[in-house]
Amino acid sequence: MSTTVTQCPECNGSVKQQGVESVCRSCGLVVGEDAIDPGPEWRSFDDDDTDRARTGAPLTRSRHDRGLSTKIGRSTRLKGRKRRQFARLRREHNRAQISSKRERNKVYAFTEIRRIISSMALSDAIRDRACVLFESAQNEALLQGRTLEGFAAAAIYATCRTEGVARTVDEICTVAKATPAELRAAYDALNRELGLPTGPIDPREYVPRFATTLDLPTAVRQRAERLVDEAQDRGLVSGRNPAGVAAACLYTAAQEQDVALTQAEAAETADVTPVTLRGTYAELQE
Amino acid sequence: MDTQDRRAISREYFAKERLAEHHFRSFNAFLDRGMQQVVDEKETIETDIGDKEGQEPVWVELGDVRVVTPRVREADGSEELLYPQEARLRNITYSAPVFMEMAIVRGGEEEPEEVVDRTETKIGRMPIMVGSNKCNIAGFTDEELIDIGEDPADPGGYFCVNGSERVLMTSEDLAPNKILAEYDTKYGDEVQVAKTFSQRRGYRALVLCERTRDGLLEVSFPSVSGSIDFVTLVRALGLESDEEIVHRVSEDPEIVKFMLENLEEAEVQTTEEAIETLGKRVASGQGKNYQLKRANYVIDRYLLPHLHEEGVEEEEVRINKAFYLCRMAEACFELALGRRESDDKDHYANKRLKVSGDLMTDLFRTALNKLARDVKYQLERANMRNRQLSVSTVVRSDVLTERLEHPIATGNWVGGRSGVSQLVDRTDFMGVLSHLRRLRSPLSRSQPHFEARDLHATQWGRICPSETPEGPNCGLVKNFAQAMELSQDVSDPQGLKQELAEMGVQGIPGIESIEQQPADD
Repeated sequence: MSTTVTQCPECNGSVKQQGVESVCRSCGLVVGEDAIDPGPEWRSFDDDDTDRARTGAPLTRSRHDRGLSTKIGRSTRLKGRKRRQFARLRREHNRAQISSKRERNKVYAFTEIRRIISSMALSDAIRDRACVLFESAQNEALLQGRTLEGFAAAAIYATCRTEGVARTVDEICTVAKATPAELRAAYDALNRELGLPTGPIDPREYVPRFATTLDLPTAVRQRAERLVDEAQDRGLVSGRNPAGVAAACLYTAAQEQDVALTQAEAAETADVTPVTLRGTYAELQE
Repeated sequence: MDTQDRRAISREYFAKERLAEHHFRSFNAFLDRGMQQVVDEKETIETDIGDKEGQEPVWVELGDVRVVTPRVREADGSEELLYPQEARLRNITYSAPVFMEMAIVRGGEEEPEEVVDRTETKIGRMPIMVGSNKCNIAGFTDEELIDIGEDPADPGGYFCVNGSERVLMTSEDLAPNKILAEYDTKYGDEVQVAKTFSQRRGYRALVLCERTRDGLLEVSFPSVSGSIDFVTLVRALGLESDEEIVHRVSEDPEIVKFMLENLEEAEVQTTEEAIETLGKRVASGQGKNYQLKRANYVIDRYLLPHLHEEGVEEEEVRINKAFYLCRMAEACFELALGRRESDDKDHYANKRLKVSGDLMTDLFRTALNKLARDVKYQLERANMRNRQLSVSTVVRSDVLTERLEHPIATGNWVGGRSGVSQLVDRTDFMGVLSHLRRLRSPLSRSQPHFEARDLHATQWGRICPSETPEGPNCGLVKNFAQAMELSQDVSDPQGLKQELAEMGVQGIPGIESIEQQPADD
C-alpha cells in the first residue's frame, strides 16, 4: 500500500493515482501499486445477459448535457403496437433533449469540435477544453454575428495555442467547415473578450513534427532544437513566423550534418515561402 | 512409422508458423476482400436532401477502401510507424488508418448529375492483428524482431487495444443455408420440421417448414407472424399448377399422396390470389395496394435471402425460392415416412466456425452503417446551413474507430454477444497457444445440453478429445487438434458456380443465361 506517497522519490514531482498504480506526473516513475483497483467494474461476464458494469461513463464537458442524458433503448422483444409506441416515445424524448436555440447551437458546435479533433487526432483533454471555451464564448454572447463553425474551429485553435500543442491555422482550416476568415473573426473575438493566456508561439513546438514529416534523423532534430534556443537567445525569433524559424533551424541543422534537405522542402512542410526560411537561416549563419 | 518418423513429420509441419494460421488467413481475407465487399454492399449513402420542392438530391458514392499499416499520431502532430511492443507498453491501440474514396453527387432531378467533391479521406482506424499482412512486423527476421522488442516465438493472432492483448474467440455456429430436418413436439404430438438459417450479408433469417399433425405443411419466416400455408406461399412465388408443385417436391408415390392432401386443402389456386392472401397476412387492415406491395416486399426481402444474388432477376430468384421450399417439404415428408433420420446438429459437417475475420466483418458492417448515418446527418446539417459540401468536412473519423475498438476492448460484440474478445492468457507460452486455438459454442453454459457437450465422432482429427475445461463450460469450450487445418469459404463464389455450370449443373441463377446455347433447329 503506497497510496499515501504524494511526492516522487526520484524527482519530487507530484504523484497521481492511475488505476492500480501511483505514477509520478513528471518522470513517469511507478511509485507504488495497490492491489485493489478503485476504478469502475468493467468486467462483463460472458453468458450473462445483464451488463455487470456498475457505473456509467464519466461526466464529460464535451457533450451539451455533460453526458448525463437518458436514452430509450431498443428491444427485439417488443412487437407491434408496443414497439411503435416506444419508437414515438424515443422520438419525442430525443426532441425534448434540446430545449432552446442556444442548446441546439451548442450541440452543433460540439459535434463540429469533435469532428475536427478526431480528424486531427488531438487528445481528449484538448477536446474538452475547446468545448469549455466555446461554452464561455456563448455565455459572453460573442456568437452574435459570427458563425458557429468559425467558433468551433477557433476554440480548438485557441486551446492548442494555450496548451502548447502547435497547430497552424491552415491545418485546422483544411479539416474544419469554417473558412479562414470565419476562424480569424471568431478567434479575435475570443482573444479580445476572454483574454486568452496566449503568448507568441514557441518555434520548438514545430520542430519534432516537421522533423518526422521530413523524415530527418534524431541527431538533426536535436541540433535544430538547440538552434532554436540559440536563436531565441539572440533575439532572432521575435517578429518572425515561428513555423518559418523552426524550418530554418531544421534546414541549418541538416546542412551542418550533411543530410540532404532542400530549402524548398523544408519551407513547404512549414507552409512558408523559402524566402522566409532564408532570412532566419542567414542570420543563424552569422 | 515409428515415433522418430512421426516426430520428424511433426517438426516439419510446425516449422512453419501454423499455430495461429487460421486467425491470419481469416483476418487477411477480411482485409483483402471482406472490407471492400462490405463497402460495395453499402454502395451509396442517400440523404434526405432533395425531398423538398426545387432542391436537387444529394448522395454519396462509396469507392475503394484502403488500409495502411499501424501508425501512431503523437501529441506534436507527427505520425510514426507503431510496433506491437510500443502499443503494449504505452497502452495504445495497435491500429491502422483506413481510407475510403467518397464522392458527393448532386443532381439528377432537373439538372444533370454532377460530382461536387471526390476525395479519398480517412474514415477511421482499424485495429490490426499482430502478425497479419498489414502488421508492421510482417516478414521480419528473428533478429529484427528482437531489435524492436518483439518475441520471435510469439505466435501473434491477437489484437492490441489500449495496451491489452485481446484474442477473438472462434465460435462454433450451426451451418447456415442448409436444410436440417428434425422432430419436434407440438401439443404432445410429434411433428416434423425442416429448418434453414438463411444468411446473406450479415442478415440472418430462420425459415421453418413444418408438417403439422394433420399432415398439412406450414412455413414460417421473419416479418410474418405465425405461419403460412405451404401451398399458398409456393403459389405466390410463381409455382402455380398442382402437378408442378407435386413433382417439384417428390416423385415418390407416398409423398405424392401427402402432397395431394395438402393441395386439396389449398385456399388459393393462382399466383395473384396467393399474393393477395399473403398481403392480408402481412399488412392486415391496410389498403389493398399497400397489401400487395408489402407482400411482394416481404417475399423478396425476408424469405430465404441467401438465394438472392447480384445481377439475377427477382423473377428467377422467386422460382428458386419455391424450389428450395419444395426441397424442405420433401425433407419433412421423408422424415415422417422414416425414409431418413433426423439431422444431427452436433455432426461437424453441420457446423461452421466463425474466426476473427468473420467477426471483424460483422463489426465493420455495423460500424460502416453507423458512419453512413453520421455522414448523412452531417451532410444534411451542412446543406441546411448553406455550406459548401465537401467530403473531408462531413466524415467524422472517430465514429468508425470507436465502433471497431470498443467491442474488441470489452468483448461485447454486435448482436448482443458478450465475451467474444478475451484477454490473451499469458500464464505461460502453452497457455497462449492453447488460447489462440480455442473455440466456443454459443450454447448457454447454464443449461445441460448433454448431446452438445459429448465428444462427437466427427470431431476426430479436428478437435482435441481431451482438452476442455471442467465445470459448467465442459464440452462447450473446445480446442483444435494439433494438425487441424481449417478450410475457408471460396473467395470467388461466382467462379465456382461458373465451373459447376460448365460441368453440367443446371438451374444456377445468373449462370444459366450464359450457358444456354441456341436450340438446334
